[in-house]
Amino acid sequence: MMDVGRHPRIELMAYSEVEGVGGYVGNFKVKVRKKARYVREEDCNSCAECAEVCPVVVPDEFQMGLSSRKAIYLPFPQAVPASYIIDMDACLGTNPIACGKCEEVCEKVCIDYDMKDEVVELDVGVIVVATGMDVYDPTELDEYCYTRYDNVVTSMEFERLICASGATEGHFVRPSDHEVPRRIAFIQCVGSRNNAGDKGNRYCSNICCMNTVKDTLLLRDHYPDCECTVFYMDIRAFGKGFEDLYMRSREEGVKYIRGLPGEIRQDAETKNLFLTAENTLTGEVVEREFDMVILSVGVIPRQDNPLIKKLLSLSTTADGFYMEAHPKLKPVDTPTRGVYICGCAESPKDVKDSVTQASAAVARAMTLLNAGEVTAEAITASIDAAFCTGCGLCAKVCPFNAIVVDKDRKTASVVSAMCMGCGNCGATCNQGAVTMGHFTDEQYYAQMDALLEENPENKIFTFACNWCSYAGADNAGVSRLQYPATPRLVRTMCSARVTEDFVLYAFMKGAPVVLVSGCHFADCHYIDANRQTVKRVYRLWDKLEKLSIRPERLQLEWISAAEGQKFARVMREVEEMRKQVTAAEIEHTRKAVAEEWEKKLAREAKRKKKAEADESRDEVQVS
Amino acid sequence: MSQETKFKCLRCGYEYVEKYAPDDDVERACPKCHSNSVRPEKAKKADAAKEE
Repeated sequence: MMDVGRHPRIELMAYSEVEGVGGYVGNFKVKVRKKARYVREEDCNSCAECAEVCPVVVPDEFQMGLSSRKAIYLPFPQAVPASYIIDMDACLGTNPIACGKCEEVCEKVCIDYDMKDEVVELDVGVIVVATGMDVYDPTELDEYCYTRYDNVVTSMEFERLICASGATEGHFVRPSDHEVPRRIAFIQCVGSRNNAGDKGNRYCSNICCMNTVKDTLLLRDHYPDCECTVFYMDIRAFGKGFEDLYMRSREEGVKYIRGLPGEIRQDAETKNLFLTAENTLTGEVVEREFDMVILSVGVIPRQDNPLIKKLLSLSTTADGFYMEAHPKLKPVDTPTRGVYICGCAESPKDVKDSVTQASAAVARAMTLLNAGEVTAEAITASIDAAFCTGCGLCAKVCPFNAIVVDKDRKTASVVSAMCMGCGNCGATCNQGAVTMGHFTDEQYYAQMDALLEENPENKIFTFACNWCSYAGADNAGVSRLQYPATPRLVRTMCSARVTEDFVLYAFMKGAPVVLVSGCHFADCHYIDANRQTVKRVYRLWDKLEKLSIRPERLQLEWISAAEGQKFARVMREVEEMRKQVTAAEIEHTRKAVAEEWEKKLAREAKRKKKAEADESRDEVQVS
Repeated sequence: MSQETKFKCLRCGYEYVEKYAPDDDVERACPKCHSNSVRPEKAKKADAAKEE
């Protein structure tokens, strides 16, 4: 951190907040609010005389409330820049008559009560999101009595208690009587791996097992006579050297009991704690007395993740962590070009993995910056101004905010550098103004013509998204899974590219069943484009019903790249549905859709004529 | 605003009631066959079904 602070080419903006992000890869405009510190950081030398005279005492957030700080304070001992801040909510000094003591003693004259927030705008080429994580609050877990018993603390509070710069200056004492505890219990997976999903999270927090192993060794080192017992589900010591560390902890005499306590009771007099748990390895129910219990709490996504997600057009997993562009091939990229993620912003991970990922993110960023120019995707959208009415529907559904609508000229245009080519706009535009590069409507119709040319009644016509469903089909193939030979797949970049017309056209060509498949919600490679797929399919089901076509003949399925089994199963199920579609039903469908299609062609012809007339009028005006 | 809505699975025909709002961000699947082809019935229809 010190090196970063001193680096001539790094501008560190601590105590600041990103308020807005505009632009696109290579040309981001970032608005940052530098919050007022009320202390000039360039002059402050952290002499601490101001804090000594400050009369206001408030709980210290960094020390988890285990000690106090003053209204003027250094956020934490290693803070960079090492400059004091005034907590204006607590300070009395806004009115110098009330206090102003810090200002009186400051020899460097750093205090400035009139300091204001400053908003700066930065031009940046790429953005790395390294916003970290929050720690799970175990208050909701009644069985561990975190808020009822003083001697039940979290692993974060333990860190502050045993740290040399912590609340007790490294003297580990229990909160109830400030005595050194001799019998200490650790409870693992607090707030993690809860499959019931009612409290806590389903995922493994990754770091807690090794953190506890480290803590037990630390305790045994500082207090050789202390007894440590760890209650666990599984010890996940998977990293380099981790298993050795775990075995060392066992050799040092730390007891490991496989089973989580169902309850904690407290002796009202001694404040000692009694834990009851079933040792699932021996089948015995054990009850042990401890002086102190440490809850090994998991990590959770930062509370402000939704805000950053919105600012940068990112996507998150169901757990709330940011989602990478591809889990294997682009693990630090995001769906938005020029934005990279690393560390616990992406998922819970330890220091080593965070540093590795941060290095990868920086390498990716440097690759882009050093290139000096950005090549736009070949599959981006383009809008024909002659047909565009400037309705803005395309801009509304674009997950990357890549479409700009000119309300005066009643037209829209695509920022190619921002467009990722999902095709959602193309499927939404009802004026036929959007053309998707290499995935044009004409190309899709040609594919449908070819695939349904012969014996269409024997085919399951399937639209499969490039990233998941199509890959799921591949997975089924390479896994040699058995499924019917009737599916015919057409690849789309995103399931949101599938227009209502595509589906109707397939029915008109004689398809007995049409399947639209895409990524699971949490896996959508275009942030949330596949939500539009759902809306479109809902509308199509209504439309089919109006045309007296069974809505069941249009199927929707989310299949991931790893779900080859699911792909095969879905195809077997849909094949059974296909067999039930009669020739008469197909014929009726053809006729009903053909009538609709005629109307659509007539509308299009009229629109084209109007566009041509407008264009020639414009030319006359120009000349 | 979410409201109790009747869903029908267009794969196995199973019908069930679940909270639903047009803009909710929930990946839906049939509780019986796990198909994603689940169709929400229109509000009026769902109310009528409830009354029955």
